[in-house]
Amino acid sequence: MTTPLKLNGRLTIKDLNALPEIPIEGITYDQMYIEKQPICPEYIAPDPNIIPSSKRTVVIDPGRICMPFGAMWASVGVHGCIPFVQGAQGCTTYPRYTFSRIFREPVSIATASFQEDTAVFGGRKNLIEGLRNLIIRYHPEVIAIVTVCSSEIIGDDMEGYLEEAQDALEEELGPDVLEETQFVIIHTPSFEGSHVEGYNRAAKAFLKTMARRTTPNNKVNIIPGMITPGDIREIKHILRLMDIEGNILFDISGTLDCPLRLPQAMPYYPKGGTKAEDMKDMGNSMMTFALCPDEGGAGARYLEKRFKIPAAIGPVPLGIHNTDIFIKDLAEATGRPIADEIKDERGILIDAMADTFHYTMGIRVAIYGDPDIAAAATRFCCELGMEPVLIGSGTESKQFVKDVWAAAHEYNLKPTILNGSDMFEWEDYLKKDKIDLILGNSKAANVSKEADVPLVRIGFPIYDRVGYQRRAYVGYRGGEYLLDLIVNTILDSKFPDDRVHQ
Amino acid sequence: MAIPEKYRLKCDFTIPERYKHHVLTDSKKPNIPACNIKTLPGDMTERGCAFAGARGVVGGPIGDCIQIIHSPAGCAWYQWGTRRNLSDIYAWSGPGRLCNDSNNRRRAVTTDLQAKDVVFGGAKKLEEACLEAWRLLPGAGGILIYLTCTSGLIGDDCSSVAEKVEKEIGKPVFVIDSPGFCGVSQSTGHHHFNVQFYNQAVKYREAHPEVCMKEEEKGPYDIAIIGEFNMDWDLVYIKPLFEKLGCRIIGVFTGGERMENLLKIPDAKLNVLHCQRSCTYISDLIANGFEVPYVKASFFGKEQMAKVLRDVADFFGSAEMKERAEQIIGHELEVISPAIDFYRERLAGKRVGMYVGGPRVWHWQKVMKELGMKVAFSMCTFAHEDDYEKINARAEEGEFIVDNPNEFEIEECLDKFKPDLFLTGLKEKYLCRKLGVPTVNSHSYEKGPYACFRGMVNFARDIYQGIYAPVWKFVRDKTFI
Ligand code: SF4
Ligand code: SF4
Repeated sequence: MTTPLKLNGRLTIKDLNALPEIPIEGITYDQMYIEKQPICPEYIAPDPNIIPSSKRTVVIDPGRICMPFGAMWASVGVHGCIPFVQGAQGCTTYPRYTFSRIFREPVSIATASFQEDTAVFGGRKNLIEGLRNLIIRYHPEVIAIVTVCSSEIIGDDMEGYLEEAQDALEEELGPDVLEETQFVIIHTPSFEGSHVEGYNRAAKAFLKTMARRTTPNNKVNIIPGMITPGDIREIKHILRLMDIEGNILFDISGTLDCPLRLPQAMPYYPKGGTKAEDMKDMGNSMMTFALCPDEGGAGARYLEKRFKIPAAIGPVPLGIHNTDIFIKDLAEATGRPIADEIKDERGILIDAMADTFHYTMGIRVAIYGDPDIAAAATRFCCELGMEPVLIGSGTESKQFVKDVWAAAHEYNLKPTILNGSDMFEWEDYLKKDKIDLILGNSKAANVSKEADVPLVRIGFPIYDRVGYQRRAYVGYRGGEYLLDLIVNTILDSKFPDDRVHQ
Repeated sequence: MAIPEKYRLKCDFTIPERYKHHVLTDSKKPNIPACNIKTLPGDMTERGCAFAGARGVVGGPIGDCIQIIHSPAGCAWYQWGTRRNLSDIYAWSGPGRLCNDSNNRRRAVTTDLQAKDVVFGGAKKLEEACLEAWRLLPGAGGILIYLTCTSGLIGDDCSSVAEKVEKEIGKPVFVIDSPGFCGVSQSTGHHHFNVQFYNQAVKYREAHPEVCMKEEEKGPYDIAIIGEFNMDWDLVYIKPLFEKLGCRIIGVFTGGERMENLLKIPDAKLNVLHCQRSCTYISDLIANGFEVPYVKASFFGKEQMAKVLRDVADFFGSAEMKERAEQIIGHELEVISPAIDFYRERLAGKRVGMYVGGPRVWHWQKVMKELGMKVAFSMCTFAHEDDYEKINARAEEGEFIVDNPNEFEIEECLDKFKPDLFLTGLKEKYLCRKLGVPTVNSHSYEKGPYACFRGMVNFARDIYQGIYAPVWKFVRDKTFI
């Protein structure tokens, strides 16, 4: 049997079904040639008048998901915590699916399983029964009660219902049960904001419920934002080098990147996560660092107001400038000198930049992501001599615009900034411009292929490649990793092989 | 029938309501667990919502429509390119260039409801959004509008919006009203999609007779395939088999199909119904409304696949077709026998746990047997009585069955029955692996297609790789425990 060359050796449907024998290895999707059928005979251009988000109602390819998701992300980073989602099953199952897709880890989240009658009578019974069923089997140390669109529209009185639920639990199981579990309520109606705001609200809700002032400690608080487990490990590494003790809120490095080790206790709980006592202790710290201003800034501001703990809110310590700020602030707040190892790590990143700027300078880059990461990535690209020409954030943010402009101004650039626009608009700009490289998440993969512009994956969500969640992008070492990704992608796509031998 | 003490799961002592969902199979007098009823709040169910059933499962595979979710961006985002329900229909990404992903998976379109819409209503917004989407995503065969919890609770009159938009664009615009809270599981969404799509399609056919097949276009062996969603390109093997038999496939409900063909399905002579959970509804409606009978089918495994071909040939009654069926079956078995023998030898006696939505448990019981494996226990997310009847009929006597299992039950069953492999979905598989149990993705497959004779080799290979992956020997190294 001969296969035409244009199919790269792949089998057409006809060939597949004519094969006289199926090999032991089987024939998988990637070996098949499926001829694409255009949706309509000829290309028709989309109406240019309504491509800008501001000129239309419809949203196509939103770069943001729902508020409860951010709150769940945060809660999953708490030790022994199970979020309880007050809504119908989808609002829980979809986020669990999304977590598993990204982190390749199990994620336990309970649902109130709203039904038709709940829509009429409200979710009181669901919460009371649901908390009982959850506690009696899982004995969580913390339960984060997360509302969703439906419970917010119905107007569930969560605080009142929780009290009732606790009374019922005490009656059934005795007073000790109330000691066993702590509750945090997070209100997250998705029609008021995205996952970014959900995480932000969770930070405030958790700290408000848990943080106390007892005796001052010598620690710093870190509110990471929706960065990777690898990022959080890098932050811990920096603190270690600086000999600083930290309370890290929502520490997903121990819950969303866990070892496979037998035997495993049942029910499965990840080993790590921020302990309740550490959250309590966050009222005693010297300073709070919210690494992502829009994801966690509210928590830092709360501690500042309530306990007079100074807050450093952003920027994400990614790239030279931003990491420098973080390190200097750390040193200043704690009175510790900047460790020599840290200066070395900075030096190694700078060395790598010195070795590669001929590749990076002048490269026109388009960036899309959550506001904090997108802004930080923009600045790092500037530091590498690249030209960010199109920067989009799926969630609207004033801070994002401010940070991007600051970087652009410093490096003499005039990028197009899309604040809170959908990916459809960003994609249209990108396809019409001459772009060399994309920095974005997995949702940009299609755009990258269609526009023939290579993609460096960063931010949330990355589900179509492995390992990204284990890597760090923050800190000097994270910068080094991101620089390598960027440069290697440029070498892969822009340079002929005989040009990269020396 | 009460189950023996040794099958009582410890994790449910405190929620004894769960025990009525557990049974042991009996082929003579089927034991049907409590099923298709509400989930206990807080029991850590794996179930999704009705919207997921409507949009994700049944509507999602439709290839050429704009599928607009009337909701905050969240519900729409979650449906964006998640399931591997593939299609060969691609939108244009530019002049002379097609998109990188098929049209049904490429985009998420939503009204992105905001607080003010919740207060003042979102119907106007929906209308604008539909018309704009039509201008921004040209070439579509129609529009499907889905409601979710938010729009369901606001109570927007979406049908009149659809009517208006339909007039404007001259293509079908259907509303699927199946918000997440409106049923016990995804299954409600399947049902809603079937009935609502059918009703609107019939209405559309009446108003636009030109979309129906003309008498002279109809063929004697026209069939439609119902309840087949083209996971990982199962259709690559399904369609040619029926074509070899001498049939013409005029439509697939809904795997990768175009709206114009979906509207023609009632013009077939016979429907071949694969997923009998999610799509019996529309098969019955078509049977009653258009007198098109259907045969129930399973496209998995040798015996079941052979049966479908024979049943279809028997239906048409032509001796020639019957003979062809036998030829095809004989040939296909030969084509796969070296590979299947290879795997059978290595899988014989292995024990497998199965957890799927519902029907695939009974679709696959026979396949496991054909691979020489034993089913250790089975679980279904949203099966109904009829699914459990079939499961009882096909199981070994006394197989443990769990309806709507929750996370803890899954863990306990893995521990109790110690299967060599667990067939399960994406959310659950990572939990299983933490317990040292290999898995194969039973929803979207690992490296499919799995359907028909030729696809069975892929299925067997993935099971084999699951069990024999070198990683498992490191997991159990005592020195490092
Ligand atoms: S209803 Fe709201 S909370 Fe639930 S998935 Fe949709 S957007 Fe998210
Ligand atoms: S809001 Fe409703 S429809 Fe949307 S995901 Fe949640 S349960 Fe499903």
